[in-house]
Amino acid sequence: MAADDDLPGPRPGFLARLSAIETIVVAIIALIALAGLMLIGKGFYMKAKAEVSQVLLKKSFEAQLHGEASGKPWPWADFETTAEIMAPRINRSAIVLQGASGQALAFGPAWLSNTPLPGDEGTSVIAAHRDTHFRWLKDVSSGDLLVLTRKDGRRFLFRAGEGRVARWDESGINASASGRNLALATCWPFDAIEPGPMRYIVTAELVGEQHPVPLTTGSVSK
Amino acid sequence: MFLDDEIAESRTRQNEARWGMYLALAALAACIVMILGLMTQASAQTASARPEQMAGYVRPNDMGTGALLFPSKEPGYFVEAPRLATDVQIDVNGPIMRTRVTQRFQNPSKGWVEGTYVFPLPDDSAVDTLKMQIGDRFIEGQIKPRQAAKEIYEQAKAEGKKAALLEQQRPNLFTNQVANIGPGETVVVQIEYQSGVRQSNDAFTFRFPMVVAPRYNPQPVVQTVDLDSRTGYAVSDPVPDRQKIEPPVLDPRENARINPVTLTINLKAGFPIGEVTSAYHEIETTTLDQLTRKITLKAASVPADRDFELSWKAVEGKSPYAGLFREPVGGKTYLLSFVPPPVTATETDKPVRREVVFVIDNSGSMAGPSMEQAKESLALAISRLKPEDRFNVIRFDDTMTVHLPDLVEATPDKREDAIAFVRGLTADGGTEMLPALEAALRTQGPVASGALRQVVFLTDGAIGNEGQLFQEIQSNRGDARVFTVGIGSAPNSHFMTKAAEYGRGTFTLIGSESQVAARMGELFTKLESPAMTDISATFEGAASGDITPNPMPDLYRGEPVVLTAELDGTSPEGKLRIVGKAGDQPWRVEMDIAKAATGEGIAKLWARRKIDDLEASASAIADPATLDRQIETVALAHHLVSRLTSLVAVDATPSRPAGENLTETDVPLNLPAGWDFGKVFGEKSDATGPDATGEVDEREASAESQTKLAMVTADRMLAAPTARAASLIAEANNQVNLPQTATEADKQILIGLTLLAFALVAGSTFVFWRVQIAALVIAGVRRHGR
Repeated sequence: MAADDDLPGPRPGFLARLSAIETIVVAIIALIALAGLMLIGKGFYMKAKAEVSQVLLKKSFEAQLHGEASGKPWPWADFETTAEIMAPRINRSAIVLQGASGQALAFGPAWLSNTPLPGDEGTSVIAAHRDTHFRWLKDVSSGDLLVLTRKDGRRFLFRAGEGRVARWDESGINASASGRNLALATCWPFDAIEPGPMRYIVTAELVGEQHPVPLTTGSVSK
Repeated sequence: MFLDDEIAESRTRQNEARWGMYLALAALAACIVMILGLMTQASAQTASARPEQMAGYVRPNDMGTGALLFPSKEPGYFVEAPRLATDVQIDVNGPIMRTRVTQRFQNPSKGWVEGTYVFPLPDDSAVDTLKMQIGDRFIEGQIKPRQAAKEIYEQAKAEGKKAALLEQQRPNLFTNQVANIGPGETVVVQIEYQSGVRQSNDAFTFRFPMVVAPRYNPQPVVQTVDLDSRTGYAVSDPVPDRQKIEPPVLDPRENARINPVTLTINLKAGFPIGEVTSAYHEIETTTLDQLTRKITLKAASVPADRDFELSWKAVEGKSPYAGLFREPVGGKTYLLSFVPPPVTATETDKPVRREVVFVIDNSGSMAGPSMEQAKESLALAISRLKPEDRFNVIRFDDTMTVHLPDLVEATPDKREDAIAFVRGLTADGGTEMLPALEAALRTQGPVASGALRQVVFLTDGAIGNEGQLFQEIQSNRGDARVFTVGIGSAPNSHFMTKAAEYGRGTFTLIGSESQVAARMGELFTKLESPAMTDISATFEGAASGDITPNPMPDLYRGEPVVLTAELDGTSPEGKLRIVGKAGDQPWRVEMDIAKAATGEGIAKLWARRKIDDLEASASAIADPATLDRQIETVALAHHLVSRLTSLVAVDATPSRPAGENLTETDVPLNLPAGWDFGKVFGEKSDATGPDATGEVDEREASAESQTKLAMVTADRMLAAPTARAASLIAEANNQVNLPQTATEADKQILIGLTLLAFALVAGSTFVFWRVQIAALVIAGVRRHGR
């Protein structure tokens, strides 16, 4: 009986026994699965890039503090390291890059170059992604100390104020306002998946400069 | 046999059913994949559009004419102070004009405010005078280094004194901060600037910006100015839904009544004047003598939505061929010369053969809308090439591809091919511009005789080795012209302006998708119709002079050579010689300096151009501080507002306390000598004015509208109880825009997981279903077999 061949027993392989249409269906399902895997991979790649690059950036920044490198972490980079920001209470730190192009933001928090340098007169703005480098920004509470080391070796202490939420084009941050201030910005709400127009902003006020200038970043590990 | 058929038939039916099922499944899967694709696409585009602009609220960038802005209750927006009167006086003296704008505003609120007076001006304007009357105080601006001026102003502001600070934000945009305007107080601002008359073919023209605000103006005549990132203002795109913005209370007719504009032009052309026309306004021309006209606006016909444009021509046959003017100032002589290129050169219709090398940046910093704009612009440029032109395309990130082995004729095939290449580019990697520039300048073979080599560079200029690049352009440019096209909302304009200057080309800025067609159109005109190249000017037999602009730019059809120069001594002699090339035909003209006619304001024009030249030479001067000092010296010597100098004015006595309302009659009329504010106090001079008849009703109506407007404005204003609070509020309104700070990572992982889950469910359903079907079939066959 020909039909008996279909019965369970030693098989020539599942795929071989499928009809043409069934093969198509299997192929489609496989494709969907593959697409899913690729998206997951891409997502994790972004996160990995953000993490790994910080290690490289840290190296480059330390070299910069010693007056060696040009500030480019790798030769083809489109940006330079400018500072390191630390939040000692929650034990977090990140290397800040110059220029907030999408490219730079993928690697680290970015200092908006149309604002003064942190520690200079005016309000300096540093922005980073809410799901990578500034994931911890929501944990910064009022009164926390923020330590900022600039590439010229000067180290400033800022005291964080209350966080607030504003539209990206109504930030209310005035770069040339009087006083030495720092504003940290990231996207809000923190757990949303769509990019949106709202930003979470923590403003911090300069409380002093730390002396003497240390030559290491003295960064805290995660 | 019979049964066999039946089974066969039932199998076919089953098969058909299965086919149907599979098809449906496949279609479903395809749909899901497509929808997901669309979702990722849509979310890849960054961030939300701006909120709709609210009627009555403006931003400094929106202003088309001088306006006093008060901070509004909406953060980031301002309201316009009611403008009570505007008087414009323009003295045209040969090729130079001096404009004096006097405007009267009012603080309609019950609080103290710091106002910002914004005024866009033509690119070459030299601003040198600021006079203000705030309430009953008169103050006049002194030129000071920018930082010092700022400090003086801030101090005065904190002390509650009336003060004003006039700063240059961009070469064509000035702002004037006015501190401590009391409740109900009137502010009169008077600024004066020097500029040149534009000459094209044989017509002389100038434009005066009179657009009250874009909201009256469905089709903006004046392009709003993109502010520099340094100033803290956002670079704004034209508001797309301008038509929808309702004027709060005014229609243009109404506006003309409550915002009277008087305009007087004293036209001394220096040659017998023929026709005088105004494109958008009705004018009245009084002939004083053959060389002089006085022009005023016809009464009550001031459409507020157009720039005022005046053009005049010489009497037939009396058109000036060239002009040379001089002004002795402080022991030096300043020259102004204009010479039209020879007619034969401008009127040849032989099209220029061009050899164009396009260089496009597809590095990571261009990712997103920038890349799309760059691709679109380049495709447009390639499609404009003519078959006799030759071209090549180079793209670069940290690697580089030269698309064609050599310059090729722009046949339709090759154009299509190149456009396809451009459209296929994606933005990634770093920016290594030097190799691409070298390839464009050095490896494209010699320039064919009679052809014009052009290098068109599309980039955001996110690079660090500017010096090296300038060096390369300067030393290896040969006969090529380098045109830069800046892409994206914040390109490195400094680099691109300078690169274009070294390359003797032009810089085109494309800030948004909607600007691509218009801006590229302007560029094409320049690329396609050069009239005169390699122009240079020298002095012969005279003490060496400082000539601006230096180097002289190429000319386009109908434009004259215009230059200014500084010479030692008050009566220099010798000859000014200008040489150039029209196509491949050399051209040369000489003028005797001693025969120059005297003119006024030439020194200021020269200083303004000198500053531009200095800015352009930034990379040649190693130390930026040296450059800044040089600019400051020139600006201070000529009393000019520049990037490094500002006009600051402080009233010596603190303001009176709040609460005392000034009414119009309280404004003192005994103005200081030389101050001519009378015209903006229209009500007073009406009695003697030409249109004094039957004005009573009009004036009543106008007063009523004014009150209405004042109330509306006051409603929207963010007035502070004290002068100090006013300055705080003003500060808070000068804000930074934040970048997009969310990645796609989380979303992609989520979508990925969903897809995976879907595949899993579909897979197991499929297996389960297949087993069932198999069992069914087997069962059927068995039954049949028995």
